[in-house]
Amino acid sequence: MAGTGKAHLHGEGQALLSVEDLLVEFPVGRTGLKVNAVTGISFDVLPGETLGLVGESGCGKSTTGKAIMQLPRPNGGSIRFEGQELTSLAGEGMRMLRTNIQMIFQDPISSLNPRRKVTNIVMEPLNIWGIGTPEERLKKVNEVLEAVGIDPDRAASSKPYQFSGGQCQRISIARALVLDPKMIICDEPVSALDVSVQAQVLNLLEDLKAKFGLTLVFIAHDLAVVKNISDRVAVMYLGKMCEVARSDDLYARPAHPYTQVLLNSIPVPDPTVKITGNQRVQGEIPSPVMPPSGCRFRTRCPIAQDRCAAEEPELQALGNDQYVACHFPLRSAN
Amino acid sequence: MTSAMHRPQDGTLLELRDVRTHFSTARGIVRAVDGVSFTLERGKALGIVGESGSGKTILARSIMGLLPKRGTIRQGEVLYAGDDLAKLDLKGMRKFWGQEMSMIFQDPMTSLNPLMKIGNQIGEPLRVHLGMDKENARATALKLLQDVKIPEPEKRLDQYPHELSGGMRQRAMIAIALACGPTLLFADEPTTALDVTVQAQILDLIQEQRRDRNMSVILVTHDLGVVAGHTDEIAVMYAGTLAEKATTAELFANMKHPYTEALLRSIPKLDQPSHTRLMAIGGRPPDLITPPTGCRFAPRCPYATEKCRTEIPVLESISAEHSFACWNPVGSSHWQSKQDELASNAGLASAGGQA
Amino acid sequence: MTDIVLDTPSKPAKPSPLTRLIGRVPPIRKWKWGFVLSVAYLVVLTFFAVFANVLPFIRRYNELPKGAAARKLASYRGKPSGSYWFGNDKLGRDTFARSVYAAQKTLTIGLASIVAALVIGGLLGMLAGYYRGWYDRVLSVIFDVLLAFPAIVLALIVVGRFFQSGRLNLGLFQMDKRFFGVIVVLTLLSVAPLARIVRAQTLALSQREYVLAARGLGASSWRILIREILPNLLPAMFSVAFTGLAVLLVAEGGLAFLGFSVQLPFPTWGFMINEARPDIVKGGGWAVFFPCILLFLTVLAFNVIGDRVARRFDIREATL
Ligand SMILES: Nc1ncnc2c1ncn2[C@@H]1O[C@H](COP(=O)(O)OP(=O)(O)OP(=O)(O)O)[C@@H](O)[C@H]1O
Ligand SMILES: Nc1ncnc2c1ncn2[C@@H]1O[C@H](COP(=O)(O)OP(=O)(O)O)[C@@H](O)[C@H]1O
Ligand code: SF4
Ligand code: SF4
Ligand SMILES: [Mg+2]
Ligand SMILES: [Mg+2]
Repeated sequence: MAGTGKAHLHGEGQALLSVEDLLVEFPVGRTGLKVNAVTGISFDVLPGETLGLVGESGCGKSTTGKAIMQLPRPNGGSIRFEGQELTSLAGEGMRMLRTNIQMIFQDPISSLNPRRKVTNIVMEPLNIWGIGTPEERLKKVNEVLEAVGIDPDRAASSKPYQFSGGQCQRISIARALVLDPKMIICDEPVSALDVSVQAQVLNLLEDLKAKFGLTLVFIAHDLAVVKNISDRVAVMYLGKMCEVARSDDLYARPAHPYTQVLLNSIPVPDPTVKITGNQRVQGEIPSPVMPPSGCRFRTRCPIAQDRCAAEEPELQALGNDQYVACHFPLRSAN
Repeated sequence: MTSAMHRPQDGTLLELRDVRTHFSTARGIVRAVDGVSFTLERGKALGIVGESGSGKTILARSIMGLLPKRGTIRQGEVLYAGDDLAKLDLKGMRKFWGQEMSMIFQDPMTSLNPLMKIGNQIGEPLRVHLGMDKENARATALKLLQDVKIPEPEKRLDQYPHELSGGMRQRAMIAIALACGPTLLFADEPTTALDVTVQAQILDLIQEQRRDRNMSVILVTHDLGVVAGHTDEIAVMYAGTLAEKATTAELFANMKHPYTEALLRSIPKLDQPSHTRLMAIGGRPPDLITPPTGCRFAPRCPYATEKCRTEIPVLESISAEHSFACWNPVGSSHWQSKQDELASNAGLASAGGQA
Repeated sequence: MTDIVLDTPSKPAKPSPLTRLIGRVPPIRKWKWGFVLSVAYLVVLTFFAVFANVLPFIRRYNELPKGAAARKLASYRGKPSGSYWFGNDKLGRDTFARSVYAAQKTLTIGLASIVAALVIGGLLGMLAGYYRGWYDRVLSVIFDVLLAFPAIVLALIVVGRFFQSGRLNLGLFQMDKRFFGVIVVLTLLSVAPLARIVRAQTLALSQREYVLAARGLGASSWRILIREILPNLLPAMFSVAFTGLAVLLVAEGGLAFLGFSVQLPFPTWGFMINEARPDIVKGGGWAVFFPCILLFLTVLAFNVIGDRVARRFDIREATL
């Protein structure tokens, strides 16, 4: 995948969050080498929209999510929320950010402190910010717990390990909601849950989004899940952006070879559908310490050519809000 | 691989007769597996599907005899090529482990020894069970790593588990499980910890190895999508009992049990438009200490009737390849009327929403 | 508009504060007798230790039999008997009274050192594990040095050089210098291993997602350390403390062996064993035996309780 480029960004003022040329690197021990976790990606999220972020494990999805939260601060690029630059924020401005953007993590159990009562966990944000009187805080917490389907009485007397995985994920969601944020970044919130609970949590997120007018960034590795909940989807590979499109279009007309193989990897609950191994992505994702030159997907791309090694593709518009970073896209502009 | 030569190529390999595995705990008796019977042919793949806590793992372990000793109460027969495994003690079972049956676990990191090189971990069962010498074991280990398609297999022999990616670790785990040429391979959620692309590769690999070695495979998972393309038969489990069992093609074409239907409907599908509301199953599987009377699915079943709450439905066969346990199966008249009712409610709701 | 289900059927009864602290008391047939006996033993021992100064029969710990002749007669004579339960020592003093009095000194030294080590080591370890960077590196070097330092040399310097004899005036507290010196040595010896354990745990805990979540909510570092990390460190710290206490009691004996522990007139068990050791063949067996047994039982009891405390706090984080 590929590429850099910003053709797909909406105009200034339209987007709630816009990320440009995001760069996050981690040092590898004291070797002087670095993990190129995210290398110059750009995307934006419109108010009230759900943007899906998909890709294989290790491609930089979580790193991107955390960089938006400034956890840690990225090594380069710009992140603007409601027009305000976040990467240079400090003090009071950072405070604002912390209440406006919240994050939900993948592992429902390890993201809750095992030794605190659930009510206290959900109330913590209010305590940190000193919002309201203790009674008002409790009332707010109970409201949010009700909204995610957790019995407030039980929450008051129980610790996280007394709840199931799905319930723990609801509690995480409640904690994220309690400060009335504008945006929630969901980092693989359903990957650790089994299918029936996954459906409950996805439905819950849709309902809460409508009820509280939220904007979501939804990170996952399963395109079927992402498609279900997102309005637009951005496909990532090895720290770069491959393709951005409306979710129905992405599925109906994938333009990037990587999107195509990702789609072919999803288990279809229908035995009459036969997808053979060679239609799927083969081999292992290369190391982000020394990523391939040119298009980063070229080592696994079924249609790679010489040009792909030499030249990095840029995101180009295909029309209809679809953008692809590939020299030989599977379909041409319409 | 050697012994595979003089094994019969078909016929029944495994037969379970009313297998029950209960645990006696401080809170009471946990009926983790409560009366399961089925047969499995040689060379076939069986998928066991159900939600978390429905007893899939305990059923697989009851067959393998890998249960905790204390507080476990076992009943029923596990006939493996004629031997009743349920009667065997640890010593008796040891003959079967590794050579006749072996297992792949969900989390390859915790089931591989972090302090031992991959090559030695694969070689160990070869030396212990098959009496190979060191060089032979190493050569066979290399061959196995090639079979499971690990990139750069020679290099991997001398690496430790933490030096491999999650997908490679699972491949190494499979190589270990295949080392002594088992006749029956258990895979307990082999891909739940992996992402979709690796999951697809691992499932393909298991299927390919099954064909090459004429193994039987029991694939445990919560995802009907995973078993659809990779098994011959499917057993759907709920609260320790079998809800439905059929060949894979028959199950998806002619699904009868409301639980199976609900499981299928809760999966997001690529061919649905985005924002399609998923049909989640409300609530959770029941507490297995005091399971509901009558049908165990009744408290969560949209089609439950009074009869469901009082009388236990028995597993009935509608053909040689399909059986299920339900009073109002999919397609029955009660099911149909309930469907219509639900559909009209949904219609009303969405009409109201637009207003 | 929602089909959210309240899947929370049973509400657990609210436990009383006492129950929360010690757990539910099980019926007698399920008691773990090792644990019960250990607690009973320590309760009795603590009672004697606390009241050693006022209990009449203990106060004679330093009394010599009257008259030189009697003294000569009494020396190592008394096997355990009605009036001398544990027999006598070389000078004819009551070994029982001395053992119990020594319990006070030994336990005080052990407890004071372990608490000091917990506070200092815990704090340093937490900061090193949380802040990492140069801070961690400096502390690691200090810990390495401390660990590599032979205990004897440390004792020689601390006790021999700074706390040789005399009294220490700390305002409210007055204390024998030598006594204080032993506590300092033992604390120094246990800070490094404790801090290392705490550092490693903190390092792991601060990678947990709930810590990240708290940071994402804007919690300050202190708040994270105290609210999110410390409660999860305590169980490990407590169980290390109990086992560590046992080790310290033995270490004190070792110091006493080499003559670096407290001096007359305060006996500790280690001191008593050391004192009577050369005379085992000359009839000093009982005077060695009883402090040994007490030391052994105490160490055992702390280990048993430490084990149990560790298990009591062991929360299963995963129940899926
Ligand atoms: N040793 C044990 N003692 C008591 N109960 C047990 C024991 N092992 C399992 N159980 C219970 O038996 C039931 C079935 O467990 P099992 O592990 O088979 O579920 P599963 O279907 O494999 O679920 P998952 O998808 O989460 O792996 C659960 O309710 C579990 O809590
Ligand atoms: N704290 C870190 N230190 C070093 N490398 C890291 C760190 N966090 C993430 N990485 C690396 O950055 C890359 C992207 O990671 P991540 O964003 O977690 O991927 P994803 O969420 O897509 O699975 C991976 O190669 C990962 O190993
Ligand atoms: S065709 Fe070339 S540019 Fe396009 S994805 Fe493949 S390697 Fe990359
Ligand atoms: S027997 Fe009744 S409750 Fe059980 S699955 Fe069938 S319809 Fe539902
Ligand atoms: Mg991630
Ligand atoms: Mg399981």
